Amino acid sequence: MAVRTLCVWCPDWPVVAARQSEAAPEVGPVAIIERGRVRSASADARVDGVRIGHRRREAEAACPGIVVLDVDPATEVRVFEPVARAVELITPRVVMDRPGVLAFPTRGPSRYHGGDGGLTERLREVIGAAGVTDLRIGIADGAFAARLAARRAALVPVGETPVFLAPWPVGTLGDEHLGDLLVRLGLRTLGAFAELPAGSVLARFGRDGLTAHRLARGEDAHPPALTTPPPDFEESAELDPPADRVDAVAFVAKGLADRLLDRLAQRGLACTQVVVEAETEHGEHLSRAWRHEGALTPGALGERVRWQLDGWLTATGGLSGGITKLCLIPDQVIPASGRQLGFWGGDAAAAERAERVFARLQGLLGPDHVVTAVPQGGRTPAERIRWVPWGEPREPSPHAPIGPVAGPVSVEIPPWPGTIPGPAPGRVVDPPVAAMLMDGHDRAVMVTARGDLSAPPAMVRSSVLPNGGGAITSWAGPWAQDVRWWDRASRSRRVAWQVVVDGSLACLVNVEHGHASIAAIYD
Amino acid sequence: MTSVPVQPVRDSPRRDNDARARLAALRVERTPVVLARDRALALTGSLATMLPSVQRGSVVAVGGEVGSGATTAVLEIAAAATAAGEWAAMVDGTGTLGGLAAVDAGVDLARFAVIRDVPPDRWATVVAALLDGVSVVIAELPRTVRVGDARRLVARARERSAVLVTIAPDARAWPVEAAVRVHAHGGLWLGLGAGDGVLEPRVAVMDVEARGRSRHGQSGHGQSRRDRFELAG
Repeated sequence: MAVRTLCVWCPDWPVVAARQSEAAPEVGPVAIIERGRVRSASADARVDGVRIGHRRREAEAACPGIVVLDVDPATEVRVFEPVARAVELITPRVVMDRPGVLAFPTRGPSRYHGGDGGLTERLREVIGAAGVTDLRIGIADGAFAARLAARRAALVPVGETPVFLAPWPVGTLGDEHLGDLLVRLGLRTLGAFAELPAGSVLARFGRDGLTAHRLARGEDAHPPALTTPPPDFEESAELDPPADRVDAVAFVAKGLADRLLDRLAQRGLACTQVVVEAETEHGEHLSRAWRHEGALTPGALGERVRWQLDGWLTATGGLSGGITKLCLIPDQVIPASGRQLGFWGGDAAAAERAERVFARLQGLLGPDHVVTAVPQGGRTPAERIRWVPWGEPREPSPHAPIGPVAGPVSVEIPPWPGTIPGPAPGRVVDPPVAAMLMDGHDRAVMVTARGDLSAPPAMVRSSVLPNGGGAITSWAGPWAQDVRWWDRASRSRRVAWQVVVDGSLACLVNVEHGHASIAAIYD
Repeated sequence: MTSVPVQPVRDSPRRDNDARARLAALRVERTPVVLARDRALALTGSLATMLPSVQRGSVVAVGGEVGSGATTAVLEIAAAATAAGEWAAMVDGTGTLGGLAAVDAGVDLARFAVIRDVPPDRWATVVAALLDGVSVVIAELPRTVRVGDARRLVARARERSAVLVTIAPDARAWPVEAAVRVHAHGGLWLGLGAGDGVLEPRVAVMDVEARGRSRHGQSGHGQSRRDRFELAG
C-alpha cells in the first residue's frame, strides 16, 4: 500500500519567483526559458498562445512585449523557502520535490487536523500567511499520484487512487521514451498500461518499465521495505571557521555528495531522497528532505544541496550565524540498477577514464577548448560541422535551418542543395585566411554579380599554403553562394572554387566582396 | 531388487576450469580488438596495407606538409581505435581539423574529442593528461618540443599502454624515439579541369619507417625498415 501523501503545487513557480524577486515586472506576460525552450509561462502569456517547449522566438512572436528570462533555480528555492518553513509548522516531514512542489505523508497531520479537508484548510492558512495564495493541494496514495492530484486540486479517497490515475495519459510517467512507445502500442492511458500483467511488463520494458508500471497502478515506485537505510551512511562535515557564503558551503557539500553516493554505489545502492541538515554557530538546527525521480547523481544532489543552502543563507529571516556543520542523510535508498560494467571490464571503465580526463582538461583550459564535432546541414565544410564543448548536448546549431533528422535507425542529414562536392577537406580554416587569386596577367580574378569570371584563375598565394602557394593547374567553379540573404547581419554573397595548386595541393578558395580567402585545404 | 550403477564423479572435469577454458575461447572470438595487455592496436583502412598494427605504448610520428595527406593518415588511426570501442583524442594546435574528414575517415565522434588552442607552455601537460585516459592520442607538435618533455611523454605512453601519434610538417620533428615514422608525400589530385569537374579521392604516397622487429639482432642495433605505400583519401 502506497503511503498516503499530500502534495502542494504552486503553478508557474518560476514565474512567481521571478516576480517576487523583482527580476520580472509585477504584471504583464512573462516566460522563463531553459536551454532556449520555454519552461514556464505566466497565465496571460499562455492565453496569448505561449506554450511550454516553444523557442524564444516563437514565444515572442505569439506574445509581443513578453518578458523572457533565463531560469534561475537558486532564486526559485530562495523564494520558496518561506513556504516550506510555513508547512513545517504543520509537519516536520516535508519533502521538496523541486521548487514550487513539496509533499509530505499525511497520516499524523491529517488525524490531528480532523481529516484531509481540515488539513488542506489549515495548510492554505499558513501558506497564505507566508505570502503565497496561488496554490493547489492534492492528496492521494503515493507521491506520484499526489502530484497529479495536486494538478486537479483533488482529494482522492483512500483506495481509489488507481481509479483516479486511470484516465491520465502515459506521458505523465515522465519517461519520454517509454511514454512514446506505449502510445505507439496503443496504450494511451495509465489505466490501460496498469492492466498489463507486471511480469510481462518487466520482460518487455525492463526495470524502468516495471517502476513506471508500479506508478501507474498507484503503488510506490520502489518497494517500501528498502526505505530505511542504515544510519552509518550519513556523511557529515564540520566547517571551521563557520561559513556564511553559499559557495564555501556548496564546495564542502559537493565532496559530501560524491562520498555519499560513492559509498552507496559500493553496496549496489542508489538514493532517491536525501535529507540535508545544517547547524549554525548559534545552535540553530535546519533540515530539509529532497526527493528526485529516479536515482540522484552526484551532480543532481550537489545542485539540490546548493539550492537549499542558498535558500537558508539568503532567504529573508535567514540564519543568525554561519553554518558550522553540514550533514547529508540518505532517506530512501533503492537497489542501483543503472550501470553495468562491460563483461570484459573494458567499455564502461574506459569511458569513465576518458570522461574524467576531458573534464580535467576543460578545467585546465576552459570548456570551449575540449570539443567534439556534430555534423549538421550546410554548404561549406565549415558550415557542415558544429564544434560543441565536450559534455554538452550534441545538437546542431539552433541557427542551422535544416538539422539532422532523427531517422528510424540513426540520425541522418537531409540533402543540401549547393553543397561543395568531392571528398571532405582534412583542414578547415575558419575564419578563412586571406589569399590572392590571380589570373595569367597577375590581376585579381573578379566575379560579376551573375557569377561570370573576369579571367580564369592561374595563381593563388596565401600564408597558410606550403611555399606560399603556386600555379593553379586545374580548377572547378565558381559556385555562387547567396548565404542567409534574409538576415541583414550575417548575410553574404560569395563564390567558391576548388583549385589544385601544382598538381598535388587541393584547396577551397572563397571570393567575397572582391577579397579572396582560403577556406579549406584537402589533406 | 536391482542396483543402479553410480556414475563416478571423478570423470567430470572441474567445473570452473572448464568454464574458464570456454570463456577464454569465447573471449578470443568476441573481442574485436586485442586488449591492452596484448600490446597491439589493429589498424583498418588503406593504412593497414603497410602498417597492419601499432604497438601499444609506442609513438607513431607522422610528418608531412599541409595537403600531403598526413591528416588523413592520423584520422585513420583514430578511426581504427574508435571502431574497436576505444577512445581517441586529438590536440589540434592550429584549430583547423576538418570534422567532416574525421566522419569520412570513419571516426566515431562519440568517442573522439578535439582539444583546441592549447598554449605552447601547457602542450606537454595536456598530452600527458590525455595519455592517462585515452588509448590513442594524436598530438600536433608545437613549433619546438623539449627533449625532456618528449621523453616524459614516451615514458607515459609506455606506462599507460597508449599510442601517441605526433603530427608535424616533418616526421623527424619528434625529437626522440618513435616506433614508426610515417612520411607523407602527397599525390596528384585528379578530376578537375578548367572550371569543371569534381575533385576525386586521391591516392597519397607515404613512406613508413619502422624500427626493425629484430631489435636484438645483429650487433644490437635496430634495423630500419622503409617501405612506400599509397593511402587513399
